[in-house]
Amino acid sequence: MMRLQGAMPRNKGIAVQGPALRLPRLSREGAQALAGALGAVLLWELAARWLAGSYLLAGPVDVARYLQANSGLMGRALAITLENAAWGFVAGNLAAVALALVVVMAPRSQPVVAAFALVVFCLPLVATGPILRVLYGPGSGPQITLAALAVYYTTFIPLMVGLRAAPASWFDLMRVYGRGAWTAFVQVRMMAALPYLLAGLQIAAPAAFLGAMVGEFTGAERGMGVLALRAMRGLDVEATWALATVAAGVAMLAYGALGWVARALAPARPEVLLAPPPATAVSGRAGRALRGAGVALVSLVLMLALWWGVMEAFGLNRFFAKRPDDLWGFLVTAPNAAANRAVLWEASAQTLAFVLPGYLAGLGLGAVLAMVLVLAPGIAGAVLPVAVALRSVPIVTTAPLIVLALGRGAAGTITIVAVMIFFPALVACLQGLRQAPGQVLDVMATYGASPLSRLVHARLPAMLPAFFAAARMSVPAAVLAVTVAEWLATGTGLGNLMALTASTSNYNLLWSAVVLVALGSAAGYALVGAVERRVLARVAPEQLR
Amino acid sequence: MAEQSAGRGPAIICAGLAKTFGSGPAAVEAVAPLELTFGAGELTALVGPSGCGKSTVLRMVAGLEAPSAGAVTLDGAAPADLQGAGELAMAFQDASLLPWRSVRGNVALALKLARRPVDLAAVDAMIARVGLAGFEGARPAELSGGMRQRAAIARCLVTQPRVLLLDEPFGAVDELTRARLNADLPALWRAQGTTALLVTHSVREAVALADRIIVFSSRPAQVVADLPVPDAVSPDTADGRALMAQVTEALSQGWDDDAAAGRHAAQ
Repeated sequence: MMRLQGAMPRNKGIAVQGPALRLPRLSREGAQALAGALGAVLLWELAARWLAGSYLLAGPVDVARYLQANSGLMGRALAITLENAAWGFVAGNLAAVALALVVVMAPRSQPVVAAFALVVFCLPLVATGPILRVLYGPGSGPQITLAALAVYYTTFIPLMVGLRAAPASWFDLMRVYGRGAWTAFVQVRMMAALPYLLAGLQIAAPAAFLGAMVGEFTGAERGMGVLALRAMRGLDVEATWALATVAAGVAMLAYGALGWVARALAPARPEVLLAPPPATAVSGRAGRALRGAGVALVSLVLMLALWWGVMEAFGLNRFFAKRPDDLWGFLVTAPNAAANRAVLWEASAQTLAFVLPGYLAGLGLGAVLAMVLVLAPGIAGAVLPVAVALRSVPIVTTAPLIVLALGRGAAGTITIVAVMIFFPALVACLQGLRQAPGQVLDVMATYGASPLSRLVHARLPAMLPAFFAAARMSVPAAVLAVTVAEWLATGTGLGNLMALTASTSNYNLLWSAVVLVALGSAAGYALVGAVERRVLARVAPEQLR
Repeated sequence: MAEQSAGRGPAIICAGLAKTFGSGPAAVEAVAPLELTFGAGELTALVGPSGCGKSTVLRMVAGLEAPSAGAVTLDGAAPADLQGAGELAMAFQDASLLPWRSVRGNVALALKLARRPVDLAAVDAMIARVGLAGFEGARPAELSGGMRQRAAIARCLVTQPRVLLLDEPFGAVDELTRARLNADLPALWRAQGTTALLVTHSVREAVALADRIIVFSSRPAQVVADLPVPDAVSPDTADGRALMAQVTEALSQGWDDDAAAGRHAAQ
C-alpha cells in the first residue's frame, strides 16, 4: 500500500527503520562528527606544542606516552573506580525508579517528593564525602553512595515525566476491556516511560563516574580519584592530563554505549527530557504562593524528621552525626552563635561571587554559540557531537586542568563553573533550536525572512524550554563545580570551609555548611523555575500544560 | 441493512442520561438528560457541533465516564459488565496504537486484554480482512494514517465485540482515504451483527454508513433531529443528497452562536 495519506501527526520525529540490514557506511553526520573529533584533538596537540615548557598542558602525544608507561597502575585504578561507579549507578537508579513509582501511585505526593529529591541532590558532594567517610569507615561505601547521589535525580525527573507521557486514549483502551491500573501500568506506562528512563540512564552513566571519583578524593586508598589528587598536588602535568583523558574517555564511552542501547531498545527519543515545573492548579498569585509555601514547609518538616530519624535509628554518635537541634544550638542559641553565622556568611559570599559570574557566563556562552551555530549549520554538525561528548566529561577531571592553566584565583574558578555549565547549555540550546516547528519556518521562508529574523521569531521561542531546563539543572552543577574548585584550589568559600572543617572535625560548622549549600542550591533551582514559568507563559504557553 | 444483522449486538438504552463536569460556578453541563434507544445490530451516527457532548455520550456508553444522572443499559447489562467480557470495543480519532508493538502485537493485545486465548492465525486473518496483509510486523510509525486506522479497526473487531464505539475514527485522514475506509471496513462489523455508534463530523460519512442519524445541538447535547437512513440511500443518490441537506439544516438549527463564541474564547 502506498503512503498517500501524507503526514503522520504524532510520530513525526521518529526515524523509520528500514527492514533490510544495511552495511555500515559513514554517513554525512558521521563524517562531520569524525571531523569535529579530529579537529578537537588536533587543536589540543597544537595548543600543547605552543605552550610547551610552561607546565600547563600535556598534548595527546604526551598523554599517550604516559599512559603506555603507567598502564598497569592506571588499569588497576580504573577498575576500582569503575566498580564503585557501577554499584552507585545501580543503587542510584533503583532509588530513582522507586521515587518515580511513589509519585505515580500517589500523585498528590509529587511536590513533596520532588522537593525532597531536589534537596538531597543538592547536598554538596565535597562535604557529604568526608561525612560519609566517617559514617562508613574505610572501604568503598562513600564512593558508591556519592555515585548514587550523583545519578538518581537526573533519572528520577525524566522517568517521572515518562510515566505520565502516554496519551489518555491508551488508558481508555485498557479500561474499555475492563482492565485496571495494574494492566495500564504494565502495558502502557512502563513501555511509554522506557525511552525517558533510558535517556536518564545515559546522563547517569558519566555522573556515576564523577560521583565515584569525588568519593575517592575523600580518603580512599585506591582509584582514579586518589591518583588525580596525588598528581595535582605534585603538579604532575602529564599524569593530570592522562587521568583526565582516561576519565573523559570512560565517561564518553559510557554515554555513547548507553545511547546505543537506548536507540536499539526504544527508537523514539523523548521530545522534552526535563519538563518545566508543573503549573499548579491553584489559580491566582496569592493561592500559588500559599501552596508553594505549604509544600516547602511540609517538605522541610519531613526532611528534618527523616534526618533525625536516620541518625537515631542507626544510633550514630552525636559528635560527628549532627541532628537538626545541634545545628539550631550552634547557629542560634549558643553564646558564640553570631560568630558562627558570620563565618558561614563570609564563606557563602565568597562562593556566590564565583557561582554567579560563572553560571551566567556558561549559560550565556552556550546559548549564544548555539545560535551562531544554527546560522552556520555545517559547523553545527561537527560541533554538536563533540559538545555532547564533552558534556559528559566529569568536572572533577577538568577542574585540576583548569587550575593548572589559570591558577588558583578567581579566573580559574569562574572558568571551571562556566565550562561545567557551558556544554550542557550548548547541547540543550542546539537541540531546542532544532525543534522549531517546520511549518513556522516555512511561513517565514515564504516571506523571504532573513536567517537572523528566522532565528529571532521562530527558533528562539522553540529554544527557550530547553534553555531553561538546562538553566535549572545547572544551578546544583555550578555549586558543585565551585565547591570542588574552592576545595582543590582557591582555599576560600564554602568548599574550602567544608574541606577544612571535615579535616579539623568541626562537625557543627561542616553540617551547617552542608545544609546551607543544599537549601541554597534548591532555592536557586526553584528561582530559575519561577522565572521559567513566567517567561514560558508568555512565549510558549503550550509547554506548561 | 438492518435485517442482515439479526442482532448479536444488544439494544442500547440511554435513560435520563446526563453529564455535568465540575461543580459550583465552574460546572459545565455537557449532556442534558437524554432518552434514546439505539437499535440492536444497527449503526447509529451521532453528529453535532464540536464540543457539543456527543463524545461524552459515547464515553458513557463505553463505561469510561460515569453519568451524573440516569443510566446506560445494554440489553439490561451495565457497560462495565460488557467491558470485562471483551464484548465492547472502541476506536479513537488518533488510532491509539501502542507504538512499541507491531500491527500484529497491537491486534493481539485486544485478545490478551479481553483474557481470550491469543490465536495468531485469527489475528493475521483479521489483519488481512482490513487490507493490511503483509504489514503484520510493521510498527505504527511505519504506517500511514489510513493504515493505522485499519489496524485500529482490526484491533476492535478481533474480539468480535457486540458493541462497537467509533469516536471519529476517520476524522484525521484525508477525504480519499476516508472514502476508501468507509467502503472497506463497515461490512466487517455488519457481518458480525454488532451494534455500533459512530461519532462523526462528516455528514456524508453519516449518510453513507449509518442506519440512523441523530443530530445533536450545541452543548449541552440535546437531540434536534432523529433521521432514519433507508437502505437504498447513499450520498450519491438524489434521496441521499436530500438527506444530507436535511442533516445540515438540523445542524445549523442546533448551532448556538453564543455557545460557539464562548467555546472559541475559551480556546
